[in-house]
Amino acid sequence: MNARGAIAGLALIPFLLAGCSREARQLASDQPQTAPSGPADPRTARYAANFYQVSQGGRYFTWYGCGDCHGRLARGAANLANGSRHAVEALYTAIAAGQSGAHSDYAARVPAEQIWQMAAYLHDLSRHEPARNRRNALDQQGEPQGNRWQGPLQ
Amino acid sequence: MSPDERERLHAVWADRPGLLGFLGTVDHKRIAARYIVTVVGLLFLSGMLAIDMRLQLSQPDMRRMGPQQYNEAFALHGSTMLFLISVPVMEAMALWLVPLMLGARNMAFPRLAAFSYWLYLGGVLMLWLPHALGITPDLGWFEYPPLSGPAYSPGHRADIWAQMITFTEVAALAASVNVVATILKMRPPGMTLARMPFFLWAMLVASLMTIFALPAIMLATSMLIADRLVSTQFFAPAAGGDVLLFQHMFWFFGHPEVYIIFVPAVGFVSSIVETFSRRTLFGHVPMVLSILAIGVLAFGLWVHHMFAVGLPRLGNDFYTAASMAIALPAGLQMFCWIATMWSGRPRFATPLLWVIGFIATFVIGGLSGVMTASAPLDLQLTDTYFVVAHLHYVLIGGALFPLFGAFCYWYPKATGRMMSERWGVVAFILIVGGFNLGFFPMHVLGLEGMPRRIYTYGPDMGWGTLNLVATIGSAIAMLGGIVLTGNALISLWRGKPAGADPWGAPTLEWAARSPPPQHNFEEVPVVTSIAPLWRHGDLPVMTGLATDRREVLVTSVIDAVPQYRHHSVGPSLWPFVAALATSGMFVASIFTPWAVVWGAIPIGVALVLWFWPRRPRSATGPLARR
Repeated sequence: MNARGAIAGLALIPFLLAGCSREARQLASDQPQTAPSGPADPRTARYAANFYQVSQGGRYFTWYGCGDCHGRLARGAANLANGSRHAVEALYTAIAAGQSGAHSDYAARVPAEQIWQMAAYLHDLSRHEPARNRRNALDQQGEPQGNRWQGPLQ
Repeated sequence: MSPDERERLHAVWADRPGLLGFLGTVDHKRIAARYIVTVVGLLFLSGMLAIDMRLQLSQPDMRRMGPQQYNEAFALHGSTMLFLISVPVMEAMALWLVPLMLGARNMAFPRLAAFSYWLYLGGVLMLWLPHALGITPDLGWFEYPPLSGPAYSPGHRADIWAQMITFTEVAALAASVNVVATILKMRPPGMTLARMPFFLWAMLVASLMTIFALPAIMLATSMLIADRLVSTQFFAPAAGGDVLLFQHMFWFFGHPEVYIIFVPAVGFVSSIVETFSRRTLFGHVPMVLSILAIGVLAFGLWVHHMFAVGLPRLGNDFYTAASMAIALPAGLQMFCWIATMWSGRPRFATPLLWVIGFIATFVIGGLSGVMTASAPLDLQLTDTYFVVAHLHYVLIGGALFPLFGAFCYWYPKATGRMMSERWGVVAFILIVGGFNLGFFPMHVLGLEGMPRRIYTYGPDMGWGTLNLVATIGSAIAMLGGIVLTGNALISLWRGKPAGADPWGAPTLEWAARSPPPQHNFEEVPVVTSIAPLWRHGDLPVMTGLATDRREVLVTSVIDAVPQYRHHSVGPSLWPFVAALATSGMFVASIFTPWAVVWGAIPIGVALVLWFWPRRPRSATGPLARR
């Protein structure tokens, strides 16, 4: 391999490593179960843009019936769909405490881990293709759907 | 043949030196050797994964691996063993042996063989490079949807697994087509189908099975990738899809695959038994018929992998009966081998020891197979360690032991050196003993209810002792594997020179020099019996193939009557380039569907240049003057 090839190869490494952290799968028990401590919380990097955490966040978004008010693509109340413009910890606070008193008690009712994941989901949402969201929803039809759940698929 | 002609023949078949010669070679022996060296490396890696998992399970409540790591370990171990080791190594043995056993100079499609290896290597890298970066498939060696679907396996782990399958299956199809064409059209004069050695029958049947079985799984994994990438709904029940479709298609491939691995092993065993019993195979015709029966029956019993899914009762009954029926031809083969040894004058060299280890181990695996083939019992045993024990008994006992025997048997032919018999026996005892010590307790663990694919278990379950025994046994077997490999490596320098036919074997490959020159044979042998080297001290030959260009003989399918002299293509870089372009397309297509469109262009260019016709007269004839 010549020198230019070596440099090109080295230049690729950060992208590959970034790809890896997106693929990482850290389970809840490895994480402290607390709210973000501020913008410098190291957990932000572990949740944001991580495939597994974002996918789990989407799952809880459905389970808790968030879509009932916010819409399935979160374009309804408070339009959350442009979450990427907000920091993950700001989204965390918005879910945990609610705005204008809508769900001020979620911090006490929903585990911190799941709020982290939902925050990561909203942060990522604008980058999702609608077709893929619909496809995931098909797979998850047998899972809880907020208040409208009819039981598992027959 | 005059010394002059001999020199010309050497020059015509020689590879270029250097990197271009390395990348462009179409020598079936070099290609097969690459396959085998890659497989040995992977066997070591995959064996280390197994030891890692066994250490984790050796005691209750171990914490050295978490659940995610354990999932990755068994998924990587299973996928490597089934897709990157077992099937490819059998094709590699065919690529190496079939032309030699036919007295031919190369395969029917030399460049396709090269393409097959490069693409296989792409599959190896597809699975193991991401693993080095921490992205490992984690759903086992069969990744059922919906678990592997978009909603439950985010990221690219499942895509990597599915695309690795595409790589290896394209490579396997390329190799199989090549083997079938070579066996049917390139047999030497006189080797009618009735006089064809049993090994070639086994390879023919296994290759035909590969051609029929593999498209099913390529379709299934491609549909899975489509579900994940472009949101199709093949496996989404809520939209009218069917998750069971994946299981059916997977096992329509998966069960024949077990026999694609086992049937070549039957060929190895028969060759070894014949040579070391010093008589032709007892019941050659029933053996051929039984292997054909296995080839057909193997496609009719995939559902026994799915008894626990909840199928109609009649379906379970039918597939129970079909599964038990396959024990008949398999049992018949056992009796034929025993009868051959019984009525011959057996010489217990290491290859024959491996055969005996195979018979003992495979019979146990076959019996636990009859047990799991019974639907009511299977409902109890599904997903327990009993299944783990069964599958390792049939795959290691039924395929790897014969493979090790074949390795010891043909090693002198490939290298020109003998392996040490003493260390061969040591490796045999360590591997067979360690294997049985390691895996037999798993039958009991399974009956006690230990589920497979758990990363740990509590002390109150009472599985600790047997698991510790299993771990010790696996470690002993691994040690034996290292002795076997070490013996092979050291014998390359220290082994005694072997000569052309060290075992006194009957088939044509032993008429070539050891190691065989690039063109294998100087003249085409003529065959008058099923054991040609036992019939003639000096093999009759057919002359007339050119010595100044690469030529092979093409004969008729049934009677092997010479038909024409065929120009065999020479070295070329284009198979490598085509494999590279195909790999690029496969890798990119897990990220964007457009890769299929744009990736087709470089593949098309590479294939056009690969197949670009060369007309000798265009350079020398009247056209050249214009």
